[in-house]
Amino acid sequence: MIKWLKRIYQEYFNSDPLQVLLLGTGALLVLLVLLALLYPFVRGAFELGLSYWGKDFIRLLLSIVGVLIVVFGNALILVYVERKVAGWMQLRIGPKEVGPSGLLQSIVDAIKLLGKQLLRPRYVDKPLYFLAPILIFIPCLVTMVVIPFDHNLQVRDINVGIVLILAFSALTPISIFMAGWGSANKYALLGGMRSISQEIAYEIPMVLSIIPVVMLSGTFSLKGIVEAQKIPFICLQPIGFLIYFISALAETNRTPFDLPEAESELVAGYHTEYSGMRFALFFLAEYTNVFIVCALATIFFLGGYKGPLLPGWVWFFIKTYILIFMMMWFRWTFPRVRFDQLLNFSWNFLIPLAMLNLAVTGALMKI
Amino acid sequence: MVSAKLLKDLQEMGVELQEVPYEKKGYCFDGQLEKDKLLQAVEAFDHYGYFIEDIVCVDYVENLELIYHFNHWEDPKRFSLRLRVNPEDPEVPSISPIYPGGGWHEREIHEFFGVSFKGHPNLSFLFLHPEIEYYPLRKIPVRIPEEKKKILQGKMPDLEEEAFWINMGPQHPSTHGVLRLFIKMRGEFVEEIEPVLGYMHRMQEKMAEMKSYMQYYPNTARLDYVGPLAFSMCYCGAMERLCEIEVPERAEMIRLITLELNRIASHLLWLGTYLLDLGAATPYFFAFQDREAILDILEGLTGSRLTYCYYRIGGLCEDLNDSFLKKVEEFIHRMKKNLKIYDDLVTGNAIFVARTKGIGLIDKEVARRFGLTGPNLRASGVAYDVRVSEPYAGYKFLRPKIALLEGGFCYERYLVRIKEIENSLNLLEEALKRLPDGPFRTEKKIKKPPVGDVYFATESPRGQVGIYIVSDGSEKPYRLKWRSPSFCNFISFTEIGKGMLIADAVATLGSLDLVVPEMDR
Repeated sequence: MIKWLKRIYQEYFNSDPLQVLLLGTGALLVLLVLLALLYPFVRGAFELGLSYWGKDFIRLLLSIVGVLIVVFGNALILVYVERKVAGWMQLRIGPKEVGPSGLLQSIVDAIKLLGKQLLRPRYVDKPLYFLAPILIFIPCLVTMVVIPFDHNLQVRDINVGIVLILAFSALTPISIFMAGWGSANKYALLGGMRSISQEIAYEIPMVLSIIPVVMLSGTFSLKGIVEAQKIPFICLQPIGFLIYFISALAETNRTPFDLPEAESELVAGYHTEYSGMRFALFFLAEYTNVFIVCALATIFFLGGYKGPLLPGWVWFFIKTYILIFMMMWFRWTFPRVRFDQLLNFSWNFLIPLAMLNLAVTGALMKI
Repeated sequence: MVSAKLLKDLQEMGVELQEVPYEKKGYCFDGQLEKDKLLQAVEAFDHYGYFIEDIVCVDYVENLELIYHFNHWEDPKRFSLRLRVNPEDPEVPSISPIYPGGGWHEREIHEFFGVSFKGHPNLSFLFLHPEIEYYPLRKIPVRIPEEKKKILQGKMPDLEEEAFWINMGPQHPSTHGVLRLFIKMRGEFVEEIEPVLGYMHRMQEKMAEMKSYMQYYPNTARLDYVGPLAFSMCYCGAMERLCEIEVPERAEMIRLITLELNRIASHLLWLGTYLLDLGAATPYFFAFQDREAILDILEGLTGSRLTYCYYRIGGLCEDLNDSFLKKVEEFIHRMKKNLKIYDDLVTGNAIFVARTKGIGLIDKEVARRFGLTGPNLRASGVAYDVRVSEPYAGYKFLRPKIALLEGGFCYERYLVRIKEIENSLNLLEEALKRLPDGPFRTEKKIKKPPVGDVYFATESPRGQVGIYIVSDGSEKPYRLKWRSPSFCNFISFTEIGKGMLIADAVATLGSLDLVVPEMDR
C-alpha cells in the first residue's frame, strides 16, 4: 500500500515540495467545505450525545449513497437517452447492440473509459491538471444535498438552500479554468477563458430570474418554495422561467451555448488534454449539472414534486426529464452562437429583461 | 471588347501575341515575352480586370518555360504568356505585388523547379518536406540547396508580444482533412494566417509523367474525392481536344447528367459539413442521406461510389443501364421536396443567419487578384461559369442557369450553393428529356497523341478546374499541370481571414468548400 502510494506520488508529482504544498492546501479546502456542510450534524453530536450521533450517522450514510445513486444513475440514463434522442433526430437508430435495444451501452462505455490509459502531456501544471476533474465534481454533489425529490425525500432542508446552490454552482467555472490553464494547451486555455466570461454573464440573469420566485414564496428553502406553489410559478412567472432556462443552458455549456468546448473551433475546449476517467469525470459533471439545473427549474417554476395521482418523486422526475429532453432537442437542432453574440445577448437583452421582470413582479405584489 | 484593347496595349509595349484556334489549343492568344517586360505586361492585364488562372512551368531541358494564364470574367478569352528562363540560374521577377494569388503559384514553381522569384515576400516550401534532395519536376536531376529548404519562415512565438501562435490542424475538426493553418492570434482575433499544405501531397503531376495516358486516368478521380467527375471530364476533354476526337452526342449528354448529379452530391456534402462547422450536427445526416441516394445511382452506373472511373477518352466506359433514368427521375422528385425542408430549417434560423450574414467578405477585387472561381465567386456577384463561358460536354446543347448573388458573405455563399442545387435539378430534368440515342463512344482508336500542348477547363462544384498538358508524341505526358479550384479559393483566405474572430474564421473557411487532396494534389 505504502509502496503503491509512493509510486503514485513520484509518478505524478516528482516530489516537488511546492506542488505538494499546493495539493495539501487544496485538500484542506475540500475538507473545510465538507466540515462546513456537516456542521449541524457535528454540533448535534456534541450537544445531544451518542444516540443522536447514531441516528444521524445512518441518515448521512443513506443520503450519501442516495446522492451517488442519483448522480451516477442519472448520468448512465442520460448518456443512453442523449444518444437515442440524437439518433431519432438524425435519421439513425442510436445504440442497439449492447443489451436489449442498447440499454447497457452506457455501462459498457463507462467500463471502456475506466480501462483507458490516462495520458498526461509533458508540460502540464500538474496540481491544477489533476485537481480540476475532482473539483468540478464537488459542486454537483453538494447541490444534490438540498434538492427535494419528494415530500420527505431530501438530504437536508437548509433554510438558505438557493444561496447554497448558487454559491456552489459558481465554483464550476473555476475548475474549468483550472483545467484550461493547467493543460498547457492553447485551445484549452481559450476554452477556459470563454467559460469564465460566459459563466459570469449568465449567472446574473439566472439570479435575477430566481429572485421573483423567492419574493412570491417568501423563503429561501427549496422545500418551502415547492410548498408555496398553489399553482406552478410558471403561470405567474413565464418570462422568469424562460430567462432561467436560457441561462441554465449557458451555465451548463450546452448547445447553442457550448462555446467553452466548441468542437469546430477549439477541438474539445478545456478538456482537450484529458483522457480516460479524467475526461469521464468532466462528462459526468456535465450531465449532473444538466440534471441539477432542470431539477431546479422544476422546483422553482413547475411545482416540484406536486402533482395528482402519481407519487411525488415520480412527478419530480417526469418534469425534470421533460426539461432535459428539451435541452437535448435544442442541442441537436441549433447551430452554435458566436462568442460576442452570446455575451451581448446576456448583457443587452437578458439582464434588462430580468430586471424589468423583477420590478414588475415587485410592483404587482405591492398592489 | 476588353481583349482587343488589351492586345493593342500589349502591342505598344512590344509584346506580340498571336491568335490561336481555341478549338485546338484551349486558349485564344499566345505569345512570347521578355523577362524585363513581364511586370509591365501583367500590369496591363491587371488594368483591364483580368484574373489569374494559374502559372505553369515546363522544363524543356534547354530552357524552362513559364506560362501565365489570364482570363476575363466578362470577356472570357484565355491568354497564355510564355517566358523562357535559363535553367542554370532561373530568376524571374515576381508578380505577387500585382496578383497576390500568383505569388502562391510562384511558390509552387519555386518548390518543384527551383525558379526563384525576385521580390516575392515569402518563398518558403508549401508542399514538400525538408528531406527532399532533388527538384521533383526537373527532367535532369538538380539538387536543392540546403538554404532553400525553408518550411515556415521562423514563425516562432514572440515573448514580448501579447499575441500567440496557434496550430489549427492538421488534425482539427473544422479543417476537414489534413489542412494546417498556423495562426497568429491576439485573444480571440486572428492576426495572421500561415498555411502549411502538403499533408496529402502525392505529386500527382510527377505521377502523370511516369504513367501512360490511360494509366494515369484513374488518378484524376483521386484528386477531388467529393466531385471527381469534373476532374475526369477535364482530363478526357483535354485529351479529346489534343487528339481531335469527336464525342457522340449521347455520351456528352450522359456526361452532363452524371456531372450534375455529382455536383449536387458535392454541394450536399458541403451543406452538411458547413452546418457541422457552425455547431449544428443534425443537418449533416439529412444531407448525407440525400447524397447517399446519388451515390447509389452512380454506383449502379459506374460501379464505384467515390472515385469513379467512368469516362473514357472519346466517350464513356459503358452505356446507361435500364433503371438509371427512372432512378434519376425519382431522385429529382425527392430532392426537390427535401430542398424545401432544408430551406425551412436552415435558411431562416436566427442563429445561422447571425453567424453567416455579413461575415467573411470576399469582394470582387480580392476575388480577381486571387483567382477565385466557382460558387464562391458567383456569391460575390460575378456571373462567371466555365459551363457557360467555355461550354464542354452536354453544356454545348443545354445552357445552365447561373446562380448569382451580390454580397460576397458566407450567407450568400450558402444561398448560391442551394440555388445551384435547384438549377442542377432543373437542368437534369431537361437533359433527361433531351437524351438522344446513338453510340456512347467513338470508334476512333488512338495509341499516341500528337505533339503539342492543350488547355482544358471544366466547372467543378468548387470552381474552375484547369488542366494543361504538354505532349511530346510519346505515350506518356511530357508535363501535366492541374489548376485546382480549392487551392486558388483557399489562398484568398490568408487575406480575408485577417482580423476575424476565430469563430468567424472557421465559418469563412467552411464556406469556401475546400477539399484538401485536391489542394495538395
